Amino acid sequence: MVRPTSLTARLTLLFIAVATVVFLAFGWIIGRSLESHFGTEDIKELKGIAEAVDQSLTTLQSNHDLTRVNQRFDDILVGHHGALLHIHDASKKTLYASPGLDLAAIPLPAPEQLTKGSVQQWKDNKHNYRVFIQQMSGAASLSNGPYTVVIAVATDFHLHFLRDFRRTLWLMVVCGIAVMGVLGWAVVRHGHRPLRHMIDKISRISTNELNTRLDPGTVPAELSELAISFNELLQRMEEAFIRLSNFSADIAHELRTPATNLMTQTQVALSQARSVTEYQEILYSNMEEYERMAQMIGDMLFLAKADNGLNPPNTDDINLENEVRNLFDYYEAWAEESGVALALNGSADIKGDQLMLRRTLSNLLSNAIRHTPPGNSVTVQLEQSSNDVVIVIQNPGAVIPAEHLDRLFDRFYRIDPSRQRSGEGAGLGLAIVKSIVEAHGGKITALSDETSTQFRIILPTSSSHTKEISD
Amino acid sequence: MKLLIVEDEAKTGEYLRQGLSEAGFVVDLTHNGLDGHHLAMTETYDLLILDVMLPDVDGWRILKSIREAGKEVPVLFLTARDSVDDRVKGLELGADDYLVKPFAFAELLARVRTLLRRGTTPATELTLSIADLELDLARHRASRSGQRIHLTAKEFALLELLVRRQGEVLPRSLIASQVWDMNFDSDTNVIDVAIRRLRAKIDDDFTIKLIQTVRGMGYMIDIPGDA
Repeated sequence: MVRPTSLTARLTLLFIAVATVVFLAFGWIIGRSLESHFGTEDIKELKGIAEAVDQSLTTLQSNHDLTRVNQRFDDILVGHHGALLHIHDASKKTLYASPGLDLAAIPLPAPEQLTKGSVQQWKDNKHNYRVFIQQMSGAASLSNGPYTVVIAVATDFHLHFLRDFRRTLWLMVVCGIAVMGVLGWAVVRHGHRPLRHMIDKISRISTNELNTRLDPGTVPAELSELAISFNELLQRMEEAFIRLSNFSADIAHELRTPATNLMTQTQVALSQARSVTEYQEILYSNMEEYERMAQMIGDMLFLAKADNGLNPPNTDDINLENEVRNLFDYYEAWAEESGVALALNGSADIKGDQLMLRRTLSNLLSNAIRHTPPGNSVTVQLEQSSNDVVIVIQNPGAVIPAEHLDRLFDRFYRIDPSRQRSGEGAGLGLAIVKSIVEAHGGKITALSDETSTQFRIILPTSSSHTKEISD
Repeated sequence: MKLLIVEDEAKTGEYLRQGLSEAGFVVDLTHNGLDGHHLAMTETYDLLILDVMLPDVDGWRILKSIREAGKEVPVLFLTARDSVDDRVKGLELGADDYLVKPFAFAELLARVRTLLRRGTTPATELTLSIADLELDLARHRASRSGQRIHLTAKEFALLELLVRRQGEVLPRSLIASQVWDMNFDSDTNVIDVAIRRLRAKIDDDFTIKLIQTVRGMGYMIDIPGDA
C-alpha cells in the first residue's frame, strides 16, 4: 500500500494550487480590462475624428475646393497623435490621404457595416493600427458621394505598455504563488500544533499510566472526536491490562495455596518415620491437590486459547434439545441425590462446536444444580427465533447481589472468597462459559431476584459467527 | 506385552516406566528421538508412547518414519501442547491416541489397555460375567446369583464397561467419556453418585463386594482378594 502524502505537504500543495488559480484569474481579468480600456479609448478617438470628418464633408460645397478641404482635414488630425486619414469617393478617386501609409490596402467590410461604420485591427510590417471605416454621404450638393472614410490610429504604444504590464504581472503571480507556498507551509505547520501536542502526550503514555486520558475540551473541535475515540481505546486497554494483571496475580495466588499445602505436608511427613498407611494418606492428599492444579491448568489453557482466537468454532449441526437431555442423563443421579428436579422446555437447533457448547451447558447446569435448594427444580428453556437461539437456565436459590452479577464471569471470581477451597473448581467455569459463548458470537447475561437466578445465553443462528477482531 | 516410551523428561519417563512395569508390562525407556526411532525400527513392540517435543527428532517424525516403514504398531502421543492443529496432525500421521499433560496415570493406563485390546477382542459375546454377576448384553439384563437386578440404561452401560474391563482401574474421566460421552472434566461428583447407586443395587445385598474404589484413581470391578 502506498503511504498517503503527509498532511503538511498535501495542504501546502493545495494552498499553492488555490493561489495559482486565484492569481492567474486575477491577472487575466486585469489584462483583459486594461486591453478593453485601451480599445474603448481608441474607438472613442476614432469616432471623434470620424465625426469631425463627417461634419467637414457635410459643410463641403463643391468637389473643387480641394486645398481648403485638405487643410481642414489636416487640422482635424493635428490633435490626435499618430492618426491617419484616407478618403475616397464613389469612383475610388482619393480625396485625401495622410502621408506614409496606404490605407486603401485595408480590406473593406461588407456594405451594410460600411454605412454604420466598423472598427477593425490592422497591421502592416511595422505598426499596429486600430481602423475605423465608414461611408459618409457628405453634403447633398456633392455629386460623387458617398465617400469612404478610413481612419487609423497606431496602437503600438498601448501594446507595448500591455506587454510590459503583463510581464510584471506574471512575475508578481509567480512570486505570489511562491510566497503563498511558503506561508501556507508555515501556517499548516502552525495549524498542526495541537495535533503534535496530542502525539507528544500519547507517546508519553506508558503501560503504567494507562489511566491517562486526553482532555477533549483542550483540543480543537476537529480533534476532539479523535481524542474521544483514543480515550475509549485507552479505557479498553486499561481494562484488559488490569484484567490480565489481575489474572496473573490470581494464577499466582491460586497456585500458591496448593503448592504451600504440598510442601508443608510433604516436609512434615518426612520429618519423622511413619507407617505405610500414613504415607499413603499423605500421598492421596497430595494427589487431590495435584488434580486440582491439573484441572486449573487445563482450564487456564483453554481460556488462553479461546482468548487468542485459536478455537475457531466448528460448525456442527447441534440439536440443543438432545444436548440438554444428554446432560440431564448425566447429571440425573447427582441431582436426584441433591433433591433437585430437572426440566426442559422448548427446542432449538444451532450450528456450533458441539464439544464447546456441551461444556458450556454442562458448566451452567452443574452450577444451577449445586445452588438449588432441595425440593426445587432447575429449568432449561430453549427458544428459537429466526435470527437467534435463546437458552435460559434458571433455578431458585439465594439471590446473587447485583454488584456480583457482572463479575460472575470474571476469572477466579467468587462471590464468597472463603468458599474458594470448597471443591467447587478454580472459579474458571463461568469464565469458560463466557468465552465459549463469545467465540460463537453470542452473549450471556446473569439475572437474579427473589424467585430465581437465571443465566441467559443468546446465540446467533447465522453461520458467520467468527470473532470480528481480525482487522 | 512390550512397550516403548520415548520421553525426554527424565522424571516423567522414569515414573511412567515404573507405573507401567508394575501394571504388568515390559517397558523400554529412552530419552531421545534418535534412540527411540532406532528401537522402534529394530525391536518389536506392542505399543509406542511418544512425547511430541523431543530435543532431536520429534515424535511426529518418528511416527512418520515408522509408518513409512510399514509398521502398524499403535502409537500414543504425549504432549504439553494442546491445539486442534496438533491433534489433527497427529491423527493424520496415524497416531492412535493423544494425551495432554498433565494427565492422570490411571487415564494413561486405561488408554494403553484400550489400544492394546483394539482389534484383538471381537466384541460379539452375548453375556459377560464376574463371580456370580451376569450380564445379558442382548436383553440388557443383569443378575446376581440368578437374582434379577433392575438397572437403568445408563447403569447397565456403566456396569458393562466395568465388567468388560474387570480388574482394571477406570478413572472417572474415562467413565464419563465412555458412558455419557462427556469428554471433559467436571468439577462435580456425578460419577461417584452413579457408582454409589450402582453399588446399592449390585453389592449391598451380597457379602462379596465387587465394585471397588481405588482411592485417587477411580473404580474397578474385581473379585476381592483376587488381584
